[in-house]
Amino acid sequence: MNEYAVEIGHLTYRVKKAFTLDDLSLRVPTGSIYGFLGPNGSGKTTTIRLILGLLRPASGSITVLGNAVPARAPAALARTGYVPEAPHLDPTLTVAEAIWFHSQFYATWDAAWAARLLDDFELDRQRLFGRLSKGQKGKLMMLLALAQRPELLVLDEPTDGLDPVVRRDMLSALLEYVSQRRATVFISSHLIHELERICDWVGVMDNGRLVADVEMERFKTGMKRLKVSHGPTHTEGLPFRVLTRSPTNGNGTEMWLVRDWAPEMAAAVAAAGGELQQVIDLDLEEGFVELLRSFRVPRTREAADV
Amino acid sequence: MFERLDSRSPTPLYAQIAERLRAAIVTRELSPAEALPSVRQLAASLRVNPATVVQAYRELEAEGFIEMRQGAGTFVREVSPVQRSAERDRQATELVRRLLADAARLGLSSRDVITAVERELGEKVR
Amino acid sequence: MFRAILYQQWKWTRIMVGLATVAGFAVPIFSVRYATRNMEHGQAAAFLDGVQTWGVVYPALAGAVGVLIAIGVWTADHRGRHVYALTLPLPRWKYVLLRFAAGSVLVAGPIAGVTLGSVIAAASISLPAGLHAYPFALAVRFALATLVAFTMFFAVSSGTARTASIILGGLAALVVIQVLLAATGLETNILMPVLNAILTVPGPFAIFSGRWMLVDV
Repeated sequence: MNEYAVEIGHLTYRVKKAFTLDDLSLRVPTGSIYGFLGPNGSGKTTTIRLILGLLRPASGSITVLGNAVPARAPAALARTGYVPEAPHLDPTLTVAEAIWFHSQFYATWDAAWAARLLDDFELDRQRLFGRLSKGQKGKLMMLLALAQRPELLVLDEPTDGLDPVVRRDMLSALLEYVSQRRATVFISSHLIHELERICDWVGVMDNGRLVADVEMERFKTGMKRLKVSHGPTHTEGLPFRVLTRSPTNGNGTEMWLVRDWAPEMAAAVAAAGGELQQVIDLDLEEGFVELLRSFRVPRTREAADV
Repeated sequence: MFERLDSRSPTPLYAQIAERLRAAIVTRELSPAEALPSVRQLAASLRVNPATVVQAYRELEAEGFIEMRQGAGTFVREVSPVQRSAERDRQATELVRRLLADAARLGLSSRDVITAVERELGEKVR
Repeated sequence: MFRAILYQQWKWTRIMVGLATVAGFAVPIFSVRYATRNMEHGQAAAFLDGVQTWGVVYPALAGAVGVLIAIGVWTADHRGRHVYALTLPLPRWKYVLLRFAAGSVLVAGPIAGVTLGSVIAAASISLPAGLHAYPFALAVRFALATLVAFTMFFAVSSGTARTASIILGGLAALVVIQVLLAATGLETNILMPVLNAILTVPGPFAIFSGRWMLVDV
């Protein structure tokens, strides 16, 4: 088995006039649950479409489960389950017919599990797909992707906009599957607190660039707010990265937003002449918001501030 | 037992899960030889990464609280009195550590804290 | 896989296929009965007139069946912008081929109807002297016309809904312009040359033009 379920190398793709994916590189370790975050319009769905072979890159390479995409997309897709943002099945088929239709294309289909999920999800076999509620459609898409028994699951905002009970059911089914077999999950979502619990890797997109690609724990614990007094003017030499700094109450104390922090780096602050008064934890959502905000703040502030 | 697992807390999720299980085992809420949920079941019901559950179970196994039997499942082990008192000691220390850290952040002295403890307990601490 | 696609397409088009099959069966029979009543004293000319009157139904039916089945084949995919089909684990060309094959199977229904109807119609009446019935020739021609219509509109619809709308919209625009020009009395004829190009050999729709006669000399 490959070390990486998905490997994207130096990918470029232009999305009309919106933005360009420029030299995008991303690797999803096999067996991991990779959370893909980013504001709307940052390129997440485009990246997912490229992974699935729906779009052709201008340059660069994409390899999915060992297959070059889009050249050998069918081979990759046979082992990939996809849960789209907008359920896209034929509205005139019933739930049972839609399941049967889908099952005909996958050799690894598990009919027994499909039946069990049907009951767990409480879906009516005879209901027309077009008449299902949003949550029911989402659950059906999850059912189809899971019953394929894929090695890779690609989920594009599968639970966004759905009620908590439905989200719970879908995630439970997903996690149950992932614990049974060493499947890789690539999931993009805005529900950061949900991803926080389940993902062991996180990638953050902003405006067509991948601005973070790191283990979840490291990202969470690495993003901190530091209350520093008499902090040095130049922070390039410090072992962590200062994203923003702003004065607190004008008495020489500043609030720094940093990433790649580790507890032992407190000594480095002291060595630079600063006094570290407090280290404030950020959860994933705060970390994500602050990280993105730091890109929007003009960088000149850092130098002009002191 | 697992209500309000806080993914935002600085304590990693696996540690929180292990903590709850440890406490339940020590207080006999979980009896010796009782079967724990499988990794699969627990991950699905808590909606956490299965690796998180595995890590929690492994930690508890290393500490001697549970044993993972290949093919059979995961079971609670008999807790010796020594283990039990060591665990209570550890929990108390944790509580106090957190209390003192919070107190320091609020600018309270140890005298303030002890006075409040004595008052709440209704007896002198000495 | 083929069964699944065929089932889905059947579900979309079964009513239309059913009606067209019945219509295809009925037209030849009605045509010969009408033709028989049309002649008063066994005149072949009157009989032929009667047959010819009904003859216009065949190309219309062939065209309608071809177009409607072609559209029915792709509607579900268009709704989802082909995403579902493109994420299925088979190459695009194979998928298109399966859809085409399934559509062809459905088209066989009305063709069979016309064949059966023609054979029965031809057998059920006594023809005036000098006239012969050509049920199989008619049926074959109907089959080919239907397949031509189906293939052309299948190709148009297999792309994005946008491309299909553009092409069909373009055709509609040509017709409208022609009608407007005719109304204003201008003699310029853009539609006729275009129509001529496609309706006469070697144009693709040549098979539709001319007389459709179950019975002829």
